[in-house]
Amino acid sequence: MSHNSGMHEPEIPEPHDPVPVFGSWPRIYAAVLICLALVMAGIALFQHWNF
Amino acid sequence: MATADWVVLAVYLVGIVAFGMWSGRGSKGMDEFFLAGRTMRWWAIGLSVMATQISAITFVGTTGQAYTDGMRFLVVYFGLPIAMVIICATLVPFFYRARVFTAYEYLEKRFDARTRTLTSLLFLCGRGLSVGVTLYAPSLVLAVILGWSENATILVMGLSTIVYVVYGGNRSVIWTDVVQMALIWFGIFLCVGLAVARLPEQVSLRDALAVAQAAGRLQVMDTSTSLQKPYTLWSGLIGGLFLALSYFGTDQSQVQRYLAGKSLTQSRLSLLFNAFVKVPMQFMILLTGALVFVFYHFTAPPLLWNAPALARLEKSAPPAELQAVRDEFTRAYEQRRAAAALLAADRAQAEPYRAAQRALDGARAKVVALEERVSGVPYNDTNYIFPTYILATLRGGLAGLVIAVIFAAAMSTLSGELNSLATATMVDFFKRYVRPVASDAQDLLASRICTALWGAFAMLVALRARQLGSAIETVNRFGSYVYGPILGVFALAVLTRVRARPAFIGILCGEAVVAALSITNAVHWLWFNVFGALTVVACGLLIDALTRSPSAAEGVRTS
Repeated sequence: MSHNSGMHEPEIPEPHDPVPVFGSWPRIYAAVLICLALVMAGIALFQHWNF
Repeated sequence: MATADWVVLAVYLVGIVAFGMWSGRGSKGMDEFFLAGRTMRWWAIGLSVMATQISAITFVGTTGQAYTDGMRFLVVYFGLPIAMVIICATLVPFFYRARVFTAYEYLEKRFDARTRTLTSLLFLCGRGLSVGVTLYAPSLVLAVILGWSENATILVMGLSTIVYVVYGGNRSVIWTDVVQMALIWFGIFLCVGLAVARLPEQVSLRDALAVAQAAGRLQVMDTSTSLQKPYTLWSGLIGGLFLALSYFGTDQSQVQRYLAGKSLTQSRLSLLFNAFVKVPMQFMILLTGALVFVFYHFTAPPLLWNAPALARLEKSAPPAELQAVRDEFTRAYEQRRAAAALLAADRAQAEPYRAAQRALDGARAKVVALEERVSGVPYNDTNYIFPTYILATLRGGLAGLVIAVIFAAAMSTLSGELNSLATATMVDFFKRYVRPVASDAQDLLASRICTALWGAFAMLVALRARQLGSAIETVNRFGSYVYGPILGVFALAVLTRVRARPAFIGILCGEAVVAALSITNAVHWLWFNVFGALTVVACGLLIDALTRSPSAAEGVRTS
């Protein structure tokens, strides 16, 4: 029953399921990672801020 | 607690059960009972994913941890957004298009029935054993706050959750999670606001943060590269990434939430919503703990946070010895209070303040040592700090509301776990091996019985937890054994062309490595998932390469 269905298969477009923002999923993922980097930078700043 | 607090708590409990039953009415088959008919929107699933993950002990434990140790625990969540992106890009499309009920069902499509059964069994063992702890751990704290017995607390929490999960299934779980998560958010903002508002007039928020900073309570990032040191930046980023990949990508209690999505986009968005919100939310919870720490600079903290333990100590400790440690504690507290006030007025006074803090830590260590000598058991009261603060400072029903938040955190986790355990039992075992063909009504009845049985099991474990003693710790450790290898086999499934047998042997190798690491205490537990997953992938690839015949390899390459 092995199918050997790896990641290599092209992604099938979803009917009636448009990408909500930024035009493509990779761009959305990039936005999430940029946001994480900003949050971590903000936390580092908070930790070292001279209150 | 005051009457108003009891009223608020009662309204919450009755309201959430009634709402759960109402929102889950009309389930007709397994698709509706376990996957809410695959009709849910991203924001509801996103809140449900978050509510299932945040337990009562996360809520009271992390605030207590920030009080005693600072905000370092936050790094555990740094890998989560990265994991969400990886899961959305890899696993979610496979699960969604395979139209599966459980994540493990996909493994039969990709490998074979044996791999699916072993993986599902590992999940049932890991999650099934921990579900009792989910109920037992908060009952210890809630029993002290409410003045009930632990058993009564377990029964109230367990029965009220079981009622709506058995009746309404996943739809009830998701909608009650939405309400419970809204309540938890409200509770977090309320606690932060009140922690700031209750500071003395002459101490501003900036002063409070300066005091917390001088005591190291705002410390988050530690760049040490030690594998044994807890909560370093690297263990958070790498270990936290693998932990989140395992939990959100392969644990049925989470997968089942986003399989209920109306579309692939809705399922993906629910996880990305968590990726955006989770770190700031945990930051707020930990910041509450740091502010409670500052609050107890200007209000005297108790000798011990666990009030019944303190009452027992006062009865059984030698009076002269107890008085001596009490006097030293009071003196050290007064000195720290003066030093903190000085630091609030003049930032150059950090060093005298730190000396006063060390003196108070020393005085408290003597109290704890006395308690441990008198009771004969190790003492830890971190989980009691936040509830003590709530009861001491909140009035007019607000204490009842925050206690309801702790109940909500416990019940939302329990409901998701019961629902997912019942799904894996039904789909991966009952429907697969016992009764593949049945009517919708028969399936629904069997699903409800399964949920009720898991609920009864959870309560039984929780009620017997005290007698189980150190077995509970073993159960907790067992949970961390299984998730890395499960992640590894899913990685093999979606990223490689490894065949079924090497994948199966890979899981066994992964389990062996994690067990060895745990027994030898070679690394901090955050690294278990990393080593477990990598071992499965490495062994699976190696065994596959060694056992693949040249003609089969050629066949794969040209297929």
